[in-house]
Amino acid sequence: MIASTIGQGILWSVLGLGIYLTYRILDFPDLTTEGSFPLGGAVCVTAITNGVSPVIATLLGVIAGMLAGLTTGLLYTKGKIPVILSGILVMSALNSVMLFVMKSPNLSLLNKPKIFSLLNFAHLPANFDVILIGLLVVIIVIFCLLSFLNTDLGQAYIATGDNEVMAKSLGIHTDKMKILGLVVSNGLIGLSGALIAQSDGYADINKGIGVIVIGLASIILGELLFGELTMLERFIAIVVGSIIYQLLILAVIKLSFDTTYLKFYSSVILGICLIIPELSKKFSEKKGGSINE
Amino acid sequence: MKNQRLKYSVYLLVFVLLGSFVMGMKKQETKIVKPIPKVGVLQFVSHPSLDLIYKGFVEELERQGYKDKETINIDFQNGQADQSKLSSMSQQLIGKKPDVLVGIATPAAQALANQTKDIPIILGAISDPKAAGLVESNNKPGGNITGVSDQSPVEAQLKLMTQLMPDIKTVGVIYSSAEDNSLSQVNRFKDIAEKEGIEVKTYAVPSTNEISQMTHVMTGEVDAIYTPTDNTIANGFQTIVSIADEANIPIFPSVDTMVDEGGVATIGINQYDLGVQTAKMVVDNLTGKMTPSDTPIYTFNTGDLVINEEKAQKLGITIPQELKEEAKK
Repeated sequence: MIASTIGQGILWSVLGLGIYLTYRILDFPDLTTEGSFPLGGAVCVTAITNGVSPVIATLLGVIAGMLAGLTTGLLYTKGKIPVILSGILVMSALNSVMLFVMKSPNLSLLNKPKIFSLLNFAHLPANFDVILIGLLVVIIVIFCLLSFLNTDLGQAYIATGDNEVMAKSLGIHTDKMKILGLVVSNGLIGLSGALIAQSDGYADINKGIGVIVIGLASIILGELLFGELTMLERFIAIVVGSIIYQLLILAVIKLSFDTTYLKFYSSVILGICLIIPELSKKFSEKKGGSINE
Repeated sequence: MKNQRLKYSVYLLVFVLLGSFVMGMKKQETKIVKPIPKVGVLQFVSHPSLDLIYKGFVEELERQGYKDKETINIDFQNGQADQSKLSSMSQQLIGKKPDVLVGIATPAAQALANQTKDIPIILGAISDPKAAGLVESNNKPGGNITGVSDQSPVEAQLKLMTQLMPDIKTVGVIYSSAEDNSLSQVNRFKDIAEKEGIEVKTYAVPSTNEISQMTHVMTGEVDAIYTPTDNTIANGFQTIVSIADEANIPIFPSVDTMVDEGGVATIGINQYDLGVQTAKMVVDNLTGKMTPSDTPIYTFNTGDLVINEEKAQKLGITIPQELKEEAKK
């Protein structure tokens, strides 16, 4: 069961990586997530049920997510709609888009090929297909992100998030950077949605509810546990954070808490994680020690 | 990697993974003696009808001699509509090596079905298991899944409607566009009604938030309202009732409990009976009387006639004496 939870954590970490690009680097909350996540799954599952190979179907899920991000980006930069509102508009509209794509609110993948079936030949123990494919995807994603952030374009992207006014004065088209960020971020979120839908075995238009919390959890747990990090370490920390969050949820279920109130427990876990840095800061100030370790 | 803590965390995770890889490779040998049977139940969300199914399930098991914690272990998980947790919950249930699994409502059943191809799964309250991709065919499921369908006796319901309102011309159907089970029922209703010469107007709502407005629109355009078996509508049913009452429009629900909540009448499948039937199939499986692969999905042909006489009187609907006698209460 631990292995399957780790597998889930790896798949969800792609969502965390996507959210990191907007939430931490550009410093704005993008609510498109709750729409682009199930959209990625919906597009992918529809494609697979129509006979498209799972790998291509997964990529279609990514493209769908990117288009969702592009829409939000255009509304935000060109339409001057506040970013939260743009995200909400797109998220809400995507609900109908998914219905249009799937022609039904829920579509099953039972007995259909999935991206994880690629490893069927290896006769791995249960759940290791998810872990290996998940790891492969995560490694590719992290590699691409690092390469991107090290280019001139990537540096301009980071600068936009650090200080928009200064970035503008340096001749960076900050609006383009924001659109770029939203496109890439939602592409990753769509990817995560496509992978999770395949691992769950179905796509559902309500699958996006609350996923933003799961993504933020992996980022926050990673930051809390590991502190200051380089960019590569930061990305790895998000993956580890995502796995730990899934393990915490497993622990809550395992300890036979009443799972009716699971959302409460997961909020409490996150709340505590968010408070700890503040508390330890206060504590070390009182002791007269330095804030940093 | 310079950060020591991160480095060691990654090492630890890799170590755990290698450990479980090795364990996974050789676990075929383990055999466990089971003293009492175990049933894992995954319910999608709490609302009156689904809760009643579970109640009927537990009580019927007890009547058949399987008392929870004494002669059977029932492991119950409720997803509370959070689909991101259904998969973890299924794994948790399967991890306890149950003899039978029960999925109540479609997403829960799909989550279970995706995790195991060996442990028998009995479906509770899934309208059309084939459409939900759970079985190959409703008559011959083929895999490890069979169960009970909550498909309503639509024809009987429509007949009742025309019996109570002989000059009915337009019926409005309100249903959730976010639920798989509703649309097929709405389409069946529409087909049958239009053959009878009744016009059917459909109103799809994306969530409970839109029910109020949609009902306001609907009450201006129809003679009566029909609601399918639908979780979203069940949750927002009180909204429909209060608005329809203002406009003096009768509601004919598909679910018997909804008649008590303000509908006029229905021929409905008793949700409790759905649970009872689910329990019977679980017991048959435990005792080896049936295997899922060749047991057809159980569908109710008839249902209980339920009438809300007080409501009918208020709306000026006269109920024929023979129906009064046929009604259970």
